[in-house]
Amino acid sequence: MTLDISIADPSWVDDRRDGLAVVDARDRRDYETLGHVPGAVNVPFESIRDSGSDAAGHLPDPEAVRELLSAAGIEHDDPVVAYDNRRGVEAARLLVTMAVYGHEGPLYLLDGDFDAWQRAYRTEQSVPDPGVSRYGSVSLRASALADRADVEAAMGNGTTLVDTRTASEYESAHVPGAVHLGWEAFVDPETGRLKPEAERRAILEDRGLDPDDPIVLYCNTARRLSHTYAVLSAHGYGHVRFHEGDLTGLIREHSPDWDPKQLYEGVREVASEGYDALAEELGEDVFGRLHLIGLYTVRQDGYFMLRTKVPGGRLTAEQAKTVGRITEEFATAPERHGGTEQNPVFGDGFLDVTTRQGIQLHWIRIEDMPEIWDRYESVGLTTIQASGNTLRNVVTCPTAGRIAGETDVNAIAEELADAFEGSRRYANLPRKFKIGLSGCQENCARAELQDLGFVPATRDGEEGFAVKVGGGLSDGPRAATDLGIFVAPDEVVDLSLAAADLFIDHGSYLDTAVNRLKYVVDEWGTERFREELRSYAPFEFEPYDRTPSSDYRGDHVGIHHETGDRYYAGCTLPTGRIGGGDLIEFADLADRYGDGELRTTANQNLVVPGVRGDTLESFLGESVLDEYSPTPGPFSRGIVTCTGREFCKYGVVETKSRGHRWARELDSWLESSDVPDAAVPDAVRIHMSGCSASCAQPQIADIGLRGEAYRDETRSSQAVDIGLGGDLGQPRFVEWVSGRVPVEDVPDATKRLLRRFFEERRADESFATWTDRTDADRLDRIVRTDRAVAGAD
Amino acid sequence: MSIERSPGVPEIETDPRDRIAEAREPTEKTWFRNLDEAVIEADRCVQCGSCMAACPSDSIGIDEETGRPTLVRMCTGCSRCWDFCPRSGLRYERLNGLEGSEARSAYAVSAAGDHEGQNGGAVTALLAGLLEAGEIDGAVVVGDGGDALTGEPVLATTRTELLESAGSSYTQTMQLGRVDELIADSGLDDPDIALVGTPCVIQGAAALDRLQYDDELASVTLTISLVCTRSFAYERLRSLLIGRGVEIDSIDSLEIDGGDLIARDDGGARLLTEDVEAFDAAALRGCAECSDAVGEAADISAGNVGSPDGKTTLLARTEAGEAAIDAATADLDPDELDETAALEGFADWNRRQAEASIPRDLDADAPLSITYTEHHDAYDGTDRAPESLNPARVHQYEEWC
Repeated sequence: MTLDISIADPSWVDDRRDGLAVVDARDRRDYETLGHVPGAVNVPFESIRDSGSDAAGHLPDPEAVRELLSAAGIEHDDPVVAYDNRRGVEAARLLVTMAVYGHEGPLYLLDGDFDAWQRAYRTEQSVPDPGVSRYGSVSLRASALADRADVEAAMGNGTTLVDTRTASEYESAHVPGAVHLGWEAFVDPETGRLKPEAERRAILEDRGLDPDDPIVLYCNTARRLSHTYAVLSAHGYGHVRFHEGDLTGLIREHSPDWDPKQLYEGVREVASEGYDALAEELGEDVFGRLHLIGLYTVRQDGYFMLRTKVPGGRLTAEQAKTVGRITEEFATAPERHGGTEQNPVFGDGFLDVTTRQGIQLHWIRIEDMPEIWDRYESVGLTTIQASGNTLRNVVTCPTAGRIAGETDVNAIAEELADAFEGSRRYANLPRKFKIGLSGCQENCARAELQDLGFVPATRDGEEGFAVKVGGGLSDGPRAATDLGIFVAPDEVVDLSLAAADLFIDHGSYLDTAVNRLKYVVDEWGTERFREELRSYAPFEFEPYDRTPSSDYRGDHVGIHHETGDRYYAGCTLPTGRIGGGDLIEFADLADRYGDGELRTTANQNLVVPGVRGDTLESFLGESVLDEYSPTPGPFSRGIVTCTGREFCKYGVVETKSRGHRWARELDSWLESSDVPDAAVPDAVRIHMSGCSASCAQPQIADIGLRGEAYRDETRSSQAVDIGLGGDLGQPRFVEWVSGRVPVEDVPDATKRLLRRFFEERRADESFATWTDRTDADRLDRIVRTDRAVAGAD
Repeated sequence: MSIERSPGVPEIETDPRDRIAEAREPTEKTWFRNLDEAVIEADRCVQCGSCMAACPSDSIGIDEETGRPTLVRMCTGCSRCWDFCPRSGLRYERLNGLEGSEARSAYAVSAAGDHEGQNGGAVTALLAGLLEAGEIDGAVVVGDGGDALTGEPVLATTRTELLESAGSSYTQTMQLGRVDELIADSGLDDPDIALVGTPCVIQGAAALDRLQYDDELASVTLTISLVCTRSFAYERLRSLLIGRGVEIDSIDSLEIDGGDLIARDDGGARLLTEDVEAFDAAALRGCAECSDAVGEAADISAGNVGSPDGKTTLLARTEAGEAAIDAATADLDPDELDETAALEGFADWNRRQAEASIPRDLDADAPLSITYTEHHDAYDGTDRAPESLNPARVHQYEEWC
């Protein structure tokens, strides 16, 4: 059942070229300018590779194959010889592609590539007109392929798995039980020709491969295995299949290196030996894997950022105190990096609340991690799977369980985190996976931004959720779309695992830039996605009856009623940054006034729930609220930033100190302006991301800023793209009206925009609505044009 | 001339992110994927490494198989790769004007000692003199690679190391992108470094020096451009040589002299002498768009045009260049040249060649930046038009936030 491919000696080909369709698989320019085998037609290797994100492996679409071969004048039953300039590996891929799509004529791999040919045989410069053929219908011989399940089955059923990559790739990680046989083993490096047949046979025997064995070949992108496939076929191996899929997911699921708990234990063991020991003891690739336990390398060599998971943003006072103490003790800069004055605004020993309600510390040394983890474990906190290609921190309403009539989604958030935590399979998805759960009618968990966003819904009087899929921001922002199904509270975990299973099967492990779940949803459409998901879910899909009318809330700043005599206080942490000592003070307030609990919010703020009404006044007099106010100015209330260039290796611009400074300046500008108090909005939401990743979610802001680099003839400087009018209530993302505005121009541009808004707004129109109805080019002019310039705007 | 697209090959701007996005991008937003389409996939990349040196997130590395730029981690969309690429966003002829393209003084020099190498003989002597005078702590030059066709950038800190790396290389190494790593690996603390490279490498270095974002190339204090009319694509040159019966392993050195490409074995015997134009098919296509054969943005230009046989012409273009030649006088035996007409004629000829190839206008008075739209307006419909991105370069990397 192995597809037939033979090896053709160049002299044999030279003798009977007229009876063969000779195919040159080099790129078009090489074919046209460097000479080619006389009479050869060109089918470039790149043209037979699928570049779509929904590829079944790397095979092209059958129709594309038919078109390509027709354009090259090849008939369905032609005998075909293929060659390349890569010692046969790309020509072999072309032949395997033709074979698996049912080419009827015999297929030959030229022994030796073009350079080997031209040492001994004539070449031709002129480009022949291949004519056009009508290549017959093309259909896939699926039995030649081994999918991921087949490879996993092969680990235990006597099938021999053969890894055709390089020895170092194999040593770094391979599928358990696989034999190594790099494709280049068959090639003579001096001549570029295949080694003599007897030598090839000896190599096969040395690997213990028998022609009657069932064999599955794999590599990374199904290119190299094609060469080995051709050799095995030529040697009469009768039961060879090959794996088209991406190897990454397969290897990670079966490798202890990618097991988050084993990694955690491994790092604990070597941590005391310091930073350099990590790579020495755990492998050169360890720094990428450390994301799985919350550790990120940063711009400061030898230090880490530590992300801590806080499902639903819920911290007990004890947990908050622990985090605060750890921050004061370990998140501190060394003297040579400025020590206690390392940051001009925040000093030292601070933490950041993230837009996923998580917590991030900086300046962490690996030597301190065992102590930090010990303290975390003692209060039930973890950094395992705080990052990596797995379920990220589950976002919920920060007041879940506090308000009468709302579903307490925090228990489900915990269950979800537990279902993914520690699982090697679910720790190694194609890419990160984000879930938000709203128990309220105000979309606190921002369903549209999640891979899976759950919002309340009912069916037959039962309360549960509707679910939106395929959201995400960054450089391809897409709002999640409604699947139209009802999910009971006890089905949320099952549905999420089903979606993760689908993602594993259909997401690309290779195309890491474009492999979030949203690309699968976009390619399939929501309908097909639902049908595919149905086959993974352990329950029947039924439509929901209705979702309560929803009104996007935005933030939780201020004093708000819970139930009975209880209130929650939403306090702003401008840019999400707070000193470790201040967090301890908040925890103390939670003990003294509230229920011994704090909540972080997706706006990077802090909620103190359960404050008793009779103590509110005294609570509001606490000094820590001077800095982190429940009644802030609109800019301090609205500012959200990512980590930025201060620490982040990707950040193009600095964000935290700048955002904090701007918020203060703009608040005092507004306060001293002639705008009547009644006209001043509660919040002006400026979200500043240091780069095109959307850690500050600029797409949903009034004024979204995204790091850029400005350059003219005399200087380079930090800059931002400015987007206006994002509003999750609509939902609507910003329109990026101005590109590459030097960052120092932003405060004045903001003032100009606000002034125009106050002048032109209709009734209670929001800033986002005003920008939406205002011409983008005009907004761009307002951003860029100093008002003092005559004729501006 | 327009290109017929093969069936199955996607159009440009078909990145899934462009398809999916629900937020309109600002005009002229450029990403590495735009550079990939306009420069790398269009086969116009000259492998100077400017994009790699300019990237503030170190997201660009070198593809092992092709020697060209590729993403090694997430692109943040900051546009700097485009802005500093002399084949896309950087109008290099304008840069040369800003840098002051007139030479201040010209010399015919020869190496005082027994130095090998084409122009390298005099340049090696110059660098050795500067090293020993304590004017520089090291020099980034291109030494021998895996075979005679390839080079490998090295940071030489002694006369011996300079001599080991002497000789010419006619393939590119992404040299500018590797300078920081070479310095980091050298263990030198805040050194002063001379950079010797082709005009495109020097253009990138001069642009980054002028328009710093984050102290790029802060250690480079002297730039020396080697006169260059073209570089070669390794695999294509290799293939053409094999087709002429020359085995690559038997070649010890390659040089271009008097319009001929000459290959010699390790005894110095000629294996091949042939008009260099016969190797046009192997020339980097991007090189044809360069009108800057002498490296006008450099402190010193060096080449064998305009000097008597056996001598090398050095043009000092800046004060730093003049000072460097003064400091190395003992090693160079310099004669001032009054007459640089030959060199000027050569530069004019090269400019006319470039004008015939480059789809856009060469205009030293136009703005330094060429936007994405302007690039498309000039190149679309030509045989140098952008081509659809390569997912292996743009989508497949292992590091992200």
